[in-house]
Amino acid sequence: MIRLNKISHSYGDEQVLYDISLDVNQGELVFLSGESGSGKSTLLSIMSTLLESDKGEVVLCGETLDSIQNINLFRQKKIGFVFQFHYLIEYLNVYENLELAALEEKKKNIIPLLEGLGILDFLKRYPNQLSGGQRQRVALARALVNDPEIIFADEPTGSLDSTNSQIVYELFHEVAKKNTTVVIASHDMQVAEFADKTIRLIDGKIS
Amino acid sequence: MYSSMIQTDGDIIITQKGISDTFFSNVDRDLLEKIESIEEVHSTYAMIVGASPVAQLPIVGIYGTTKNHFSHYKLQKGFYPQEKEVILGTNISTQAQGEFLKIANKRFKVSGVFESGIGFEEGGVVMNIEDASELFNKSSSFIIVSATSPNSIEILKDKLAKLDSQIEVKTTKHFVDEYNQFKIIENSSLLISFLAFVMGLMGVASVMSMIVTSRKQEFGIMRALGKSRYFIMKNLFLETMLLSLSAYTFALVLSLAFLEILPSIEMLQGYVSGTISINIALYVLISSLIMALIGALLPSWIASKTDPVLLINQGCS
Repeated sequence: MIRLNKISHSYGDEQVLYDISLDVNQGELVFLSGESGSGKSTLLSIMSTLLESDKGEVVLCGETLDSIQNINLFRQKKIGFVFQFHYLIEYLNVYENLELAALEEKKKNIIPLLEGLGILDFLKRYPNQLSGGQRQRVALARALVNDPEIIFADEPTGSLDSTNSQIVYELFHEVAKKNTTVVIASHDMQVAEFADKTIRLIDGKIS
Repeated sequence: MYSSMIQTDGDIIITQKGISDTFFSNVDRDLLEKIESIEEVHSTYAMIVGASPVAQLPIVGIYGTTKNHFSHYKLQKGFYPQEKEVILGTNISTQAQGEFLKIANKRFKVSGVFESGIGFEEGGVVMNIEDASELFNKSSSFIIVSATSPNSIEILKDKLAKLDSQIEVKTTKHFVDEYNQFKIIENSSLLISFLAFVMGLMGVASVMSMIVTSRKQEFGIMRALGKSRYFIMKNLFLETMLLSLSAYTFALVLSLAFLEILPSIEMLQGYVSGTISINIALYVLISSLIMALIGALLPSWIASKTDPVLLINQGCS
Protein backbone atom coordinates (compact mmCIF):
# COMPACT_ATOMS: atom_id res chain seq x y z
CA MET A 1 0.00 0.00 0.00
CA ILE A 2 2.83 2.39 0.94
CA ARG A 3 6.44 1.91 -0.08
CA LEU A 4 9.24 4.35 0.67
CA ASN A 5 12.56 3.80 -1.01
CA LYS A 6 15.64 5.66 0.29
CA ILE A 7 13.88 8.87 1.25
CA SER A 8 16.12 11.77 2.34
CA HIS A 9 15.10 15.30 3.15
CA SER A 10 16.69 18.52 4.38
CA TYR A 11 15.42 21.90 5.51
CA GLY A 12 18.15 24.17 4.21
CA ASP A 13 21.44 22.82 5.54
CA GLU A 14 19.78 20.68 8.17
CA GLN A 15 19.19 17.10 7.05
CA VAL A 16 16.21 15.60 8.86
CA LEU A 17 15.75 12.25 7.09
CA TYR A 18 18.42 9.78 5.97
CA ASP A 19 17.69 7.05 3.41
CA ILE A 20 14.40 5.90 4.89
CA SER A 21 12.90 2.76 3.33
CA LEU A 22 9.76 1.04 4.59
CA ASP A 23 6.64 -0.86 3.54
CA VAL A 24 3.13 -0.62 4.92
CA ASN A 25 0.47 -3.15 3.98
CA GLN A 26 -3.20 -2.54 3.36
CA GLY A 27 -5.33 -2.42 6.51
CA GLU A 28 -2.35 -2.03 8.82
CA LEU A 29 -2.32 0.50 11.63
CA VAL A 30 1.24 1.78 11.73
CA PHE A 31 2.63 3.80 14.60
CA LEU A 32 5.42 6.17 13.61
CA SER A 33 7.06 7.00 16.91
CA GLY A 34 9.93 9.21 17.93
CA GLU A 35 10.93 12.16 20.00
CA SER A 36 10.17 15.69 18.98
CA GLY A 37 12.54 16.61 16.11
CA SER A 38 13.18 12.99 15.13
CA GLY A 39 11.71 13.60 11.67
CA LYS A 40 8.45 11.66 12.03
CA SER A 41 6.19 14.55 10.94
CA THR A 42 8.43 15.22 7.94
CA LEU A 43 8.33 11.56 7.00
CA LEU A 44 4.55 11.49 7.36
CA SER A 45 4.24 14.61 5.17
CA ILE A 46 6.41 13.02 2.48
CA MET A 47 4.47 9.72 2.63
CA SER A 48 1.19 11.59 2.34
CA THR A 49 2.23 13.73 -0.71
CA LEU A 50 2.09 16.98 1.28
CA LEU A 51 5.85 17.49 0.99
CA GLU A 52 8.20 16.62 -1.83
CA SER A 53 11.30 14.74 -0.69
CA ASP A 54 14.78 15.74 -1.83
CA LYS A 55 15.70 12.17 -2.72
CA GLY A 56 14.05 8.77 -2.96
CA GLU A 57 10.82 7.29 -4.22
CA VAL A 58 7.30 7.19 -2.76
CA VAL A 59 4.85 4.57 -3.98
CA LEU A 60 1.23 4.88 -2.86
CA CYS A 61 -1.53 2.43 -3.84
CA GLY A 62 0.80 0.98 -6.45
CA GLU A 63 1.62 4.32 -8.12
CA THR A 64 4.83 6.31 -7.84
CA LEU A 65 4.22 9.99 -7.09
CA ASP A 66 5.87 11.01 -10.36
CA SER A 67 3.38 8.94 -12.35
CA ILE A 68 0.27 10.43 -10.75
CA GLN A 69 -1.37 12.78 -13.26
CA ASN A 70 -3.64 14.70 -10.90
CA ILE A 71 -2.19 14.79 -7.41
CA ASN A 72 -5.14 16.80 -6.02
CA LEU A 73 -7.70 14.26 -7.17
CA PHE A 74 -5.45 11.44 -5.97
CA ARG A 75 -5.29 13.03 -2.51
CA GLN A 76 -9.01 13.63 -2.42
CA LYS A 77 -9.90 10.07 -3.50
CA LYS A 78 -7.31 7.96 -1.77
CA ILE A 79 -5.93 9.85 1.26
CA GLY A 80 -7.47 11.22 4.43
CA PHE A 81 -5.65 13.53 6.82
CA VAL A 82 -6.02 14.19 10.52
CA PHE A 83 -3.84 16.91 12.00
CA GLN A 84 -2.86 17.74 15.56
CA PHE A 85 -4.95 20.91 15.76
CA HIS A 86 -7.87 19.50 13.74
CA TYR A 87 -7.44 22.31 11.17
CA LEU A 88 -11.11 22.67 10.40
CA ILE A 89 -12.05 25.76 8.40
CA GLU A 90 -13.28 28.14 11.07
CA TYR A 91 -15.91 29.95 9.00
CA LEU A 92 -17.58 26.71 7.85
CA ASN A 93 -19.89 24.67 10.07
CA VAL A 94 -19.39 20.95 10.67
CA TYR A 95 -21.45 19.88 7.69
CA GLU A 96 -19.80 22.40 5.37
CA ASN A 97 -16.32 21.33 6.50
CA LEU A 98 -17.11 17.79 5.45
CA GLU A 99 -18.86 18.93 2.29
CA LEU A 100 -15.76 20.91 1.27
CA ALA A 101 -13.64 17.75 1.45
CA ALA A 102 -16.18 15.36 -0.06
CA LEU A 103 -16.24 14.21 -3.65
CA GLU A 104 -19.65 14.79 -5.23
CA GLU A 105 -20.57 11.10 -5.14
CA LYS A 106 -19.42 10.76 -1.52
CA LYS A 107 -21.52 13.55 -0.01
CA LYS A 108 -24.09 10.93 0.96
CA ASN A 109 -21.51 9.63 3.48
CA ILE A 110 -21.56 12.80 5.57
CA ILE A 111 -24.64 12.18 7.74
CA PRO A 112 -23.98 8.47 8.44
CA LEU A 113 -20.36 9.30 9.31
CA LEU A 114 -21.31 12.03 11.76
CA GLU A 115 -23.92 9.74 13.25
CA GLY A 116 -21.39 6.92 13.60
CA LEU A 117 -18.95 9.23 15.36
CA GLY A 118 -21.66 10.55 17.68
CA ILE A 119 -21.50 14.14 16.48
CA LEU A 120 -24.60 14.42 14.30
CA ASP A 121 -26.13 16.89 16.76
CA PHE A 122 -23.29 19.33 16.01
CA LEU A 123 -24.03 19.47 12.29
CA LYS A 124 -24.67 23.21 12.22
CA ARG A 125 -22.08 24.19 14.78
CA TYR A 126 -18.88 25.99 13.95
CA PRO A 127 -15.48 24.66 15.09
CA ASN A 128 -15.18 27.25 17.86
CA GLN A 129 -18.46 25.96 19.31
CA LEU A 130 -17.03 22.44 19.78
CA SER A 131 -14.78 20.88 22.43
CA GLY A 132 -11.32 19.60 21.49
CA GLY A 133 -12.50 15.99 21.36
CA GLN A 134 -15.53 16.90 19.23
CA ARG A 135 -13.37 18.85 16.80
CA GLN A 136 -10.99 15.96 16.41
CA ARG A 137 -13.92 13.62 15.71
CA VAL A 138 -15.13 16.05 13.03
CA ALA A 139 -11.59 16.05 11.60
CA LEU A 140 -11.67 12.25 11.54
CA ALA A 141 -15.07 12.31 9.82
CA ARG A 142 -13.62 14.69 7.24
CA ALA A 143 -10.70 12.33 6.68
CA LEU A 144 -13.07 9.41 6.17
CA VAL A 145 -15.72 11.08 4.03
CA ASN A 146 -14.31 9.90 0.68
CA ASP A 147 -13.70 6.30 1.85
CA PRO A 148 -9.92 6.73 1.48
CA GLU A 149 -7.50 3.84 1.20
CA ILE A 150 -5.00 5.45 3.58
CA ILE A 151 -5.38 7.78 6.56
CA PHE A 152 -2.43 9.81 7.79
CA ALA A 153 -2.61 11.35 11.24
CA ASP A 154 0.02 13.67 12.64
CA GLU A 155 -0.13 13.91 16.46
CA PRO A 156 -3.92 13.46 16.30
CA THR A 157 -4.30 13.56 20.07
CA GLY A 158 -1.69 16.23 20.73
CA SER A 159 -4.32 18.67 21.95
CA LEU A 160 -6.56 16.14 23.76
CA ASP A 161 -6.71 14.72 27.29
CA SER A 162 -6.09 11.01 27.86
CA THR A 163 -9.80 10.06 27.83
CA ASN A 164 -10.41 11.73 24.50
CA SER A 165 -7.11 10.39 23.16
CA GLN A 166 -8.25 6.85 24.00
CA ILE A 167 -11.53 7.43 22.14
CA VAL A 168 -9.72 8.76 19.08
CA TYR A 169 -7.27 5.81 19.00
CA GLU A 170 -10.17 3.38 19.26
CA LEU A 171 -11.79 5.09 16.31
CA PHE A 172 -8.60 4.73 14.27
CA HIS A 173 -8.47 1.08 15.28
CA GLU A 174 -12.04 0.60 14.03
CA VAL A 175 -11.11 2.26 10.74
CA ALA A 176 -8.08 -0.01 10.27
CA LYS A 177 -10.24 -3.07 10.96
CA LYS A 178 -12.34 -2.06 7.93
CA ASN A 179 -9.22 -2.50 5.75
CA THR A 180 -8.17 1.14 5.61
CA THR A 181 -4.45 1.68 6.14
CA VAL A 182 -3.73 4.08 9.01
CA VAL A 183 -0.40 5.74 9.72
CA ILE A 184 -0.16 7.71 12.95
CA ALA A 185 2.85 9.86 13.81
CA SER A 186 2.93 10.54 17.53
CA HIS A 187 5.19 10.73 20.53
CA ASP A 188 2.36 9.23 22.63
CA MET A 189 3.27 5.59 23.33
CA GLN A 190 -0.43 4.84 23.99
CA VAL A 191 -0.79 4.32 20.21
CA ALA A 192 1.39 1.22 20.42
CA GLU A 193 -1.51 -0.62 22.15
CA PHE A 194 -3.54 -0.39 18.94
CA ALA A 195 -0.77 -0.55 16.31
CA ASP A 196 -0.01 -3.54 14.07
CA LYS A 197 3.47 -2.17 13.46
CA THR A 198 5.63 0.43 15.19
CA ILE A 199 8.39 2.28 13.34
CA ARG A 200 10.70 4.25 15.59
CA LEU A 201 12.66 7.19 14.27
CA ILE A 202 15.76 8.52 15.97
CA ASP A 203 17.52 11.53 14.43
CA GLY A 204 16.02 10.93 11.00
CA LYS A 205 16.82 7.23 10.83
CA ILE A 206 14.78 4.11 11.52
CA SER A 207 16.11 2.51 14.65
CA MET B 1 -15.37 77.79 -8.44
CA TYR B 2 -14.28 81.00 -10.13
CA SER B 3 -14.08 79.17 -13.46
CA SER B 4 -17.74 78.12 -13.17
CA MET B 5 -18.65 81.69 -12.35
CA ILE B 6 -16.96 83.04 -15.48
CA GLN B 7 -18.28 80.34 -17.78
CA THR B 8 -21.87 80.38 -16.52
CA ASP B 9 -23.23 83.48 -18.17
CA GLY B 10 -21.16 84.26 -21.20
CA ASP B 11 -19.32 83.12 -24.28
CA ILE B 12 -16.61 85.80 -24.43
CA ILE B 13 -14.55 87.59 -21.79
CA ILE B 14 -12.80 90.90 -22.29
CA THR B 15 -9.87 91.72 -20.01
CA GLN B 16 -7.08 94.28 -19.99
CA LYS B 17 -4.35 93.37 -22.46
CA GLY B 18 -1.18 91.85 -21.02
CA ILE B 19 -2.68 91.25 -17.55
CA SER B 20 -2.79 87.60 -16.59
CA ASP B 21 -4.99 87.90 -13.51
CA THR B 22 -8.47 89.41 -13.54
CA PHE B 23 -7.80 90.86 -10.08
CA PHE B 24 -5.35 93.30 -11.69
CA SER B 25 -7.28 93.87 -14.92
CA ASN B 26 -8.97 97.20 -15.60
CA VAL B 27 -11.30 97.48 -18.56
CA ASP B 28 -13.19 100.66 -19.37
CA ARG B 29 -16.86 99.82 -18.92
CA ASP B 30 -17.88 102.58 -21.31
CA LEU B 31 -17.17 99.90 -23.89
CA LEU B 32 -20.48 98.27 -22.91
CA GLU B 33 -22.42 100.72 -25.07
CA LYS B 34 -20.35 99.96 -28.15
CA ILE B 35 -20.54 96.24 -27.47
CA GLU B 36 -24.33 96.25 -27.14
CA SER B 37 -24.59 97.84 -30.57
CA ILE B 38 -22.91 94.88 -32.28
CA GLU B 39 -25.36 92.68 -34.17
CA GLU B 40 -24.07 89.31 -32.82
CA VAL B 41 -24.36 90.38 -29.17
CA HIS B 42 -27.16 88.88 -27.16
CA SER B 43 -26.25 90.40 -23.79
CA THR B 44 -23.29 91.81 -21.93
CA TYR B 45 -22.31 92.86 -18.44
CA ALA B 46 -19.26 94.18 -16.63
CA MET B 47 -17.89 92.98 -13.34
CA ILE B 48 -15.32 93.95 -10.76
CA VAL B 49 -13.76 91.13 -8.82
CA GLY B 50 -11.95 91.98 -5.64
CA ALA B 51 -11.33 90.81 -2.11
CA SER B 52 -11.54 92.62 1.18
CA PRO B 53 -12.06 92.00 4.91
CA VAL B 54 -15.77 91.92 5.64
CA ALA B 55 -17.06 92.20 9.21
CA GLN B 56 -14.96 89.75 11.27
CA LEU B 57 -13.94 87.69 8.23
CA PRO B 58 -10.34 88.35 7.11
CA ILE B 59 -10.93 87.97 3.38
CA VAL B 60 -14.09 87.75 1.33
CA GLY B 61 -14.75 87.90 -2.42
CA ILE B 62 -16.44 91.13 -3.53
CA TYR B 63 -18.33 91.17 -6.81
CA GLY B 64 -19.44 94.45 -8.28
CA THR B 65 -21.66 93.98 -11.30
CA THR B 66 -23.87 95.92 -13.65
CA LYS B 67 -27.56 95.79 -12.78
CA ASN B 68 -28.48 93.60 -15.75
CA HIS B 69 -26.49 90.77 -14.21
CA PHE B 70 -28.33 90.78 -10.88
CA SER B 71 -30.87 88.25 -12.15
CA HIS B 72 -28.06 85.70 -12.10
CA TYR B 73 -28.23 85.85 -8.30
CA LYS B 74 -31.42 84.19 -7.12
CA LEU B 75 -32.72 86.09 -4.11
CA GLN B 76 -33.59 84.03 -1.08
CA LYS B 77 -34.77 87.11 0.72
CA GLY B 78 -34.67 90.88 0.39
CA PHE B 79 -34.02 93.01 -2.70
CA TYR B 80 -31.27 93.54 -5.23
CA PRO B 81 -28.81 96.20 -4.03
CA GLN B 82 -29.17 99.89 -4.70
CA GLU B 83 -26.40 102.41 -4.11
CA LYS B 84 -24.35 101.57 -0.95
CA GLU B 85 -26.17 98.30 -0.57
CA VAL B 86 -25.00 94.69 -0.88
CA ILE B 87 -26.50 91.24 -1.08
CA LEU B 88 -24.76 88.34 0.66
CA GLY B 89 -24.17 84.83 -0.59
CA THR B 90 -25.93 82.10 1.42
CA ASN B 91 -22.68 80.77 2.84
CA ILE B 92 -21.42 84.08 4.14
CA SER B 93 -24.83 85.30 5.32
CA THR B 94 -24.65 83.02 8.38
CA GLN B 95 -21.30 84.52 9.41
CA ALA B 96 -21.72 88.17 8.53
CA GLN B 97 -24.96 89.05 10.25
CA GLY B 98 -26.50 92.47 10.87
CA GLU B 99 -28.22 95.17 8.91
CA PHE B 100 -25.00 96.93 7.94
CA LEU B 101 -21.56 95.69 6.91
CA LYS B 102 -18.21 97.43 6.94
CA ILE B 103 -16.21 96.72 3.81
CA ALA B 104 -12.80 98.41 3.44
CA ASN B 105 -13.86 101.14 5.87
CA LYS B 106 -17.06 101.83 3.98
CA ARG B 107 -20.52 101.07 5.35
CA PHE B 108 -23.01 99.12 3.26
CA LYS B 109 -26.57 98.13 3.99
CA VAL B 110 -27.42 94.44 3.55
CA SER B 111 -30.42 94.38 1.22
CA GLY B 112 -30.76 90.62 0.71
CA VAL B 113 -29.34 87.11 0.54
CA PHE B 114 -28.78 85.19 -2.71
CA GLU B 115 -27.85 81.81 -4.01
CA SER B 116 -26.28 81.10 -7.38
CA GLY B 117 -25.25 77.46 -7.13
CA ILE B 118 -21.58 78.47 -7.37
CA GLY B 119 -19.77 78.09 -4.07
CA PHE B 120 -17.22 80.77 -4.98
CA GLU B 121 -19.98 83.36 -5.34
CA GLU B 122 -22.08 82.14 -2.44
CA GLY B 123 -19.15 82.79 -0.13
CA GLY B 124 -18.98 86.42 -1.31
CA VAL B 125 -20.71 89.80 -1.42
CA VAL B 126 -22.40 91.34 -4.49
CA MET B 127 -22.85 95.07 -5.00
CA ASN B 128 -23.39 97.61 -7.77
CA ILE B 129 -20.41 98.05 -10.01
CA GLU B 130 -20.31 101.77 -9.26
CA ASP B 131 -19.75 101.09 -5.55
CA ALA B 132 -17.16 98.42 -6.32
CA SER B 133 -15.47 100.84 -8.70
CA GLU B 134 -15.05 103.27 -5.83
CA LEU B 135 -13.74 100.53 -3.53
CA PHE B 136 -11.17 99.10 -5.89
CA ASN B 137 -10.45 102.17 -7.97
CA LYS B 138 -11.09 100.62 -11.35
CA SER B 139 -13.76 100.75 -14.06
CA SER B 140 -14.28 96.96 -14.36
CA SER B 141 -12.20 93.80 -14.05
CA PHE B 142 -13.72 92.24 -17.13
CA ILE B 143 -16.67 92.33 -19.44
CA ILE B 144 -18.63 89.23 -20.30
CA VAL B 145 -20.44 88.98 -23.62
CA SER B 146 -23.02 86.44 -24.77
CA ALA B 147 -23.42 85.78 -28.48
CA THR B 148 -26.74 85.40 -30.25
CA SER B 149 -25.71 81.92 -31.38
CA PRO B 150 -22.72 79.60 -30.94
CA ASN B 151 -21.91 80.03 -34.63
CA SER B 152 -21.40 83.77 -34.24
CA ILE B 153 -18.90 83.60 -31.36
CA GLU B 154 -15.78 83.74 -33.55
CA ILE B 155 -17.10 86.63 -35.67
CA LEU B 156 -18.11 88.50 -32.53
CA LYS B 157 -14.71 87.90 -30.99
CA ASP B 158 -13.01 89.53 -33.97
CA LYS B 159 -15.35 92.50 -33.89
CA LEU B 160 -14.80 93.04 -30.15
CA ALA B 161 -11.03 92.87 -30.51
CA LYS B 162 -11.20 95.83 -32.90
CA LEU B 163 -13.02 98.05 -30.37
CA ASP B 164 -9.95 98.87 -28.28
CA SER B 165 -6.26 98.15 -28.61
CA GLN B 166 -5.91 97.87 -24.79
CA ILE B 167 -8.22 94.86 -24.43
CA GLU B 168 -7.81 91.15 -24.84
CA VAL B 169 -10.75 89.10 -26.12
CA LYS B 170 -11.08 85.38 -25.49
CA THR B 171 -13.84 82.83 -25.34
CA THR B 172 -14.64 82.10 -21.70
CA LYS B 173 -13.77 78.45 -22.30
CA HIS B 174 -10.36 79.36 -23.70
CA PHE B 175 -9.80 81.84 -20.89
CA VAL B 176 -10.58 79.27 -18.19
CA ASP B 177 -8.39 76.66 -19.89
CA GLU B 178 -5.48 79.12 -20.13
CA TYR B 179 -5.83 80.91 -16.82
CA ASN B 180 -2.69 80.22 -14.86
CA GLN B 181 -4.27 80.15 -11.42
CA PHE B 182 -6.89 77.70 -12.59
CA LYS B 183 -4.13 75.60 -14.08
CA ILE B 184 -2.12 75.67 -10.84
CA ILE B 185 -5.17 74.85 -8.73
CA GLU B 186 -6.34 72.18 -11.12
CA ASN B 187 -2.92 70.59 -11.50
CA SER B 188 -2.27 70.72 -7.75
CA SER B 189 -5.66 69.16 -7.08
CA LEU B 190 -5.02 66.50 -9.70
CA LEU B 191 -1.59 65.75 -8.25
CA ILE B 192 -2.91 65.50 -4.68
CA SER B 193 -5.85 63.38 -5.86
CA PHE B 194 -3.51 61.17 -7.87
CA LEU B 195 -1.14 60.68 -4.92
CA ALA B 196 -4.06 59.95 -2.61
CA PHE B 197 -5.44 57.57 -5.20
CA VAL B 198 -2.11 55.75 -5.62
CA MET B 199 -1.72 55.52 -1.82
CA GLY B 200 -5.26 54.17 -1.67
CA LEU B 201 -4.49 51.59 -4.34
CA MET B 202 -1.33 50.53 -2.51
CA GLY B 203 -3.45 50.25 0.63
CA VAL B 204 -5.98 48.07 -1.19
CA ALA B 205 -3.20 45.82 -2.50
CA SER B 206 -1.51 45.59 0.94
CA VAL B 207 -4.74 44.84 2.77
CA MET B 208 -5.67 42.13 0.29
CA SER B 209 -2.14 40.77 0.43
CA MET B 210 -2.27 40.64 4.26
CA ILE B 211 -5.67 38.96 4.21
CA VAL B 212 -4.46 36.32 1.80
CA THR B 213 -1.14 35.80 3.61
CA SER B 214 -3.00 35.29 6.89
CA ARG B 215 -5.02 32.56 5.18
CA LYS B 216 -2.06 30.51 3.98
CA GLN B 217 -2.85 27.77 6.50
CA GLU B 218 -6.38 27.53 5.11
CA PHE B 219 -4.99 27.13 1.59
CA GLY B 220 -2.62 24.44 2.88
CA ILE B 221 -5.54 22.56 4.45
CA MET B 222 -7.56 22.86 1.26
CA ARG B 223 -4.65 21.55 -0.78
CA ALA B 224 -4.28 18.66 1.68
CA LEU B 225 -7.97 17.93 1.20
CA GLY B 226 -7.36 17.65 -2.53
CA LYS B 227 -8.64 21.04 -3.65
CA SER B 228 -6.89 22.25 -6.78
CA ARG B 229 -4.98 25.51 -7.16
CA TYR B 230 -7.67 26.54 -9.64
CA PHE B 231 -10.39 25.97 -7.03
CA ILE B 232 -8.54 28.10 -4.46
CA MET B 233 -7.69 30.89 -6.92
CA LYS B 234 -11.25 30.96 -8.31
CA ASN B 235 -12.77 31.28 -4.84
CA LEU B 236 -10.28 33.94 -3.89
CA PHE B 237 -11.01 35.83 -7.09
CA LEU B 238 -14.74 35.83 -6.35
CA GLU B 239 -14.19 36.85 -2.73
CA THR B 240 -11.89 39.68 -3.79
CA MET B 241 -14.37 40.97 -6.35
CA LEU B 242 -17.22 40.88 -3.86
CA LEU B 243 -15.16 42.56 -1.15
CA SER B 244 -13.80 45.22 -3.50
CA LEU B 245 -17.19 46.01 -5.02
CA SER B 246 -18.77 46.34 -1.57
CA ALA B 247 -15.93 48.59 -0.39
CA TYR B 248 -16.12 50.63 -3.60
CA THR B 249 -19.89 51.14 -3.29
CA PHE B 250 -19.51 52.18 0.34
CA ALA B 251 -16.66 54.59 -0.49
CA LEU B 252 -18.58 56.07 -3.43
CA VAL B 253 -21.71 56.70 -1.37
CA LEU B 254 -19.59 58.20 1.41
CA SER B 255 -17.73 60.45 -1.06
CA LEU B 256 -20.94 61.63 -2.73
CA ALA B 257 -22.45 62.40 0.66
CA PHE B 258 -19.30 64.30 1.65
CA LEU B 259 -19.31 66.31 -1.57
CA GLU B 260 -22.96 67.12 -0.95
CA ILE B 261 -22.30 68.63 2.48
CA LEU B 262 -18.95 70.21 1.55
CA PRO B 263 -20.38 73.52 0.25
CA SER B 264 -22.39 74.00 3.44
CA ILE B 265 -19.39 73.66 5.79
CA GLU B 266 -19.13 77.15 7.28
CA MET B 267 -15.37 77.13 7.70
CA LEU B 268 -14.85 76.65 3.94
CA GLN B 269 -17.19 79.52 3.05
CA GLY B 270 -18.38 77.55 0.02
CA TYR B 271 -15.05 77.86 -1.79
CA VAL B 272 -14.41 74.14 -1.84
CA SER B 273 -16.59 71.87 -3.92
CA GLY B 274 -16.18 68.89 -6.20
CA THR B 275 -17.88 66.35 -8.39
CA ILE B 276 -17.29 62.73 -9.33
CA SER B 277 -17.76 62.13 -13.03
CA ILE B 278 -18.81 58.76 -14.41
CA ASN B 279 -15.41 58.42 -16.06
CA ILE B 280 -13.58 59.01 -12.79
CA ALA B 281 -15.89 56.63 -10.94
CA LEU B 282 -15.25 53.93 -13.54
CA TYR B 283 -11.51 54.57 -13.55
CA VAL B 284 -11.36 54.27 -9.76
CA LEU B 285 -13.48 51.11 -9.85
CA ILE B 286 -11.33 49.39 -12.46
CA SER B 287 -8.03 50.44 -10.84
CA SER B 288 -9.21 49.32 -7.40
CA LEU B 289 -10.33 45.95 -8.73
CA ILE B 290 -7.02 45.43 -10.53
CA MET B 291 -4.97 46.36 -7.45
CA ALA B 292 -7.15 44.22 -5.18
CA LEU B 293 -6.71 41.28 -7.54
CA ILE B 294 -2.95 41.80 -7.73
CA GLY B 295 -2.80 42.05 -3.92
CA ALA B 296 -4.89 38.91 -3.48
CA LEU B 297 -3.85 36.68 -6.33
CA LEU B 298 -0.09 37.23 -6.25
CA PRO B 299 0.48 35.81 -2.74
CA SER B 300 -2.09 33.09 -3.36
CA TRP B 301 -0.33 32.12 -6.59
CA ILE B 302 2.98 31.94 -4.71
CA ALA B 303 1.22 29.90 -2.00
CA SER B 304 -0.19 27.57 -4.63
CA LYS B 305 3.39 26.70 -5.64
CA THR B 306 4.34 25.83 -2.05
CA ASP B 307 4.07 22.37 -0.48
CA PRO B 308 0.80 22.15 1.49
CA VAL B 309 2.49 21.09 4.71
CA LEU B 310 4.73 24.18 4.61
CA LEU B 311 1.65 26.38 4.20
CA ILE B 312 -0.02 24.66 7.15
CA ASN B 313 3.07 25.08 9.31
CA GLN B 314 3.55 28.73 8.24
CA GLY B 315 0.03 29.35 9.47
CA CYS B 316 0.99 27.97 12.88
CA SER B 317 4.03 30.18 13.32
